[in-house]
Amino acid sequence: MGYSGARGGLEAILAAERHVRHERDHAPVPWAGTEQITARFRLAVDRVMGEAGLYDEPTAAHAFRQAEGDTLEAAHLVRAHRSTLPRLARSEPVDPDEMVVLRRIVPAHRTPDGPQLLGRTSDYTGRLLERPDGPPSPNGQVPAPVAQADGERRPRRFSAMLREMDLLVDHRTGADPEPFDVTRRPARPPAPRSAVLASMARAETGALVGLWYRSILGPDGNIHEVTLGEVRHGRLPLRVRHPHTGRPVRIGTFRATETEALEDLDGAEEDRARFDLGYGLCFGHNERKSIAMANLDVACRRFGASLEQVLLLTIDGLDSGGFLEHLKLPHYVTFRSMVDRKLAVRTTGERVRATDPLGRDCR
Amino acid sequence: MQPEERAELLALAERAELVELADRSLADGADLRVVVAPEVGCVATQVVEPVARERFLLGDVLACRAEVELDGVRGWSMRLGDDRAAVLAAAVCDAEANAGRPLAGAVAELCRRVAARSAAAEAAEWAALAPTVVAFEELA
Repeated sequence: MGYSGARGGLEAILAAERHVRHERDHAPVPWAGTEQITARFRLAVDRVMGEAGLYDEPTAAHAFRQAEGDTLEAAHLVRAHRSTLPRLARSEPVDPDEMVVLRRIVPAHRTPDGPQLLGRTSDYTGRLLERPDGPPSPNGQVPAPVAQADGERRPRRFSAMLREMDLLVDHRTGADPEPFDVTRRPARPPAPRSAVLASMARAETGALVGLWYRSILGPDGNIHEVTLGEVRHGRLPLRVRHPHTGRPVRIGTFRATETEALEDLDGAEEDRARFDLGYGLCFGHNERKSIAMANLDVACRRFGASLEQVLLLTIDGLDSGGFLEHLKLPHYVTFRSMVDRKLAVRTTGERVRATDPLGRDCR
Repeated sequence: MQPEERAELLALAERAELVELADRSLADGADLRVVVAPEVGCVATQVVEPVARERFLLGDVLACRAEVELDGVRGWSMRLGDDRAAVLAAAVCDAEANAGRPLAGAVAELCRRVAARSAAAEAAEWAALAPTVVAFEELA
């Protein structure tokens, strides 16, 4: 181990690694297979896929098991793995209108086009801890077939109706700039919207929720009234160009969560006769993340550079978590120099500053 | 069946059925050349967001691709995940169909089976979801 003025310790580090492997892999309980993890801990698996920026359930499950359930560590493992993989293709542009919904709610309107589909949710269930003695008895019930219409599985989005009523600010310019690739270079402010959306899509969920909550209720004071127009979880098709025909070919589907947030505009120089629309989309089923993303998308547009700067610089879990983790590494030399400074201050006699040093101001 | 439709269905087929069919295809001593060996990698997924109708990169999806030549006719496959054997077998099946070789009909039959299975799975999924359609009441 070599790090800022400390080295050695290799034998102890290797022993610690062996200890982790032994306690994890040889715990006196049944092995947690990959299918067990994807089926029973699907939300954790989805969160890992989203924060890692790589969609593949078995890969995320392997990482989740290796990381002993630590989702951020698992996302770190998956990102490290992804960095070793070649890029086979760039997909054809995915149109989110093609989503086959597994869940879809429109909090803004009771009877939108298409169903209010609760799907697989415990949103309306009391939080009572269940402590079963063992696995539940098999349930052989097979639901009776139900006829389905395309509008039920691919409902028209609520914002389309608002657009028809001319109630939405129109941000469509007809331009379609090349999207920013956050896997190739870091997004730093000022950044194009594609960089902000991509950064949020693979942000650490808690960081994104925390930043959104701070932005509306915290010291930033960006008080705004948001209603959700869509919250969806469903499958989207992934297409690439067929190398022989040049035409798009669907190679599979991936699940994603999508949110549209409607903002009641009331600020200076804003069109008070219309709503603004924020957008959130992330891999897997992660509604908290998608909702926070949609709200922050609007907030960035309304409250501008300072929020975008905080967002781009702080929401990546590997960035923030990595910096935090590094604090556990030996800091003997830097701390000794601090002690030396304290002792030096005593000899000069200037113990208290008249003014704060640069960077002391923290909102 | 168009090549795109066949590629889509072979991408959804089970590994075992692909490998079994590919093995049968090669059993007659056909000349096989692997043009692109099975390779696992990422498909960068771009999405057109509906607010400004601009693209952004949502993330990567893990995929695997292969390309072969069977008796001088190309076959290609790309599937999600990292199953190299399945993608190679799918490419062989695609070439078998493209070349109109003896098992082209079996490849088409496999595709029809996969399509029927997908439709059945979607119907079963909807049967479980449909009871969760809700109509909340509005308080006056």
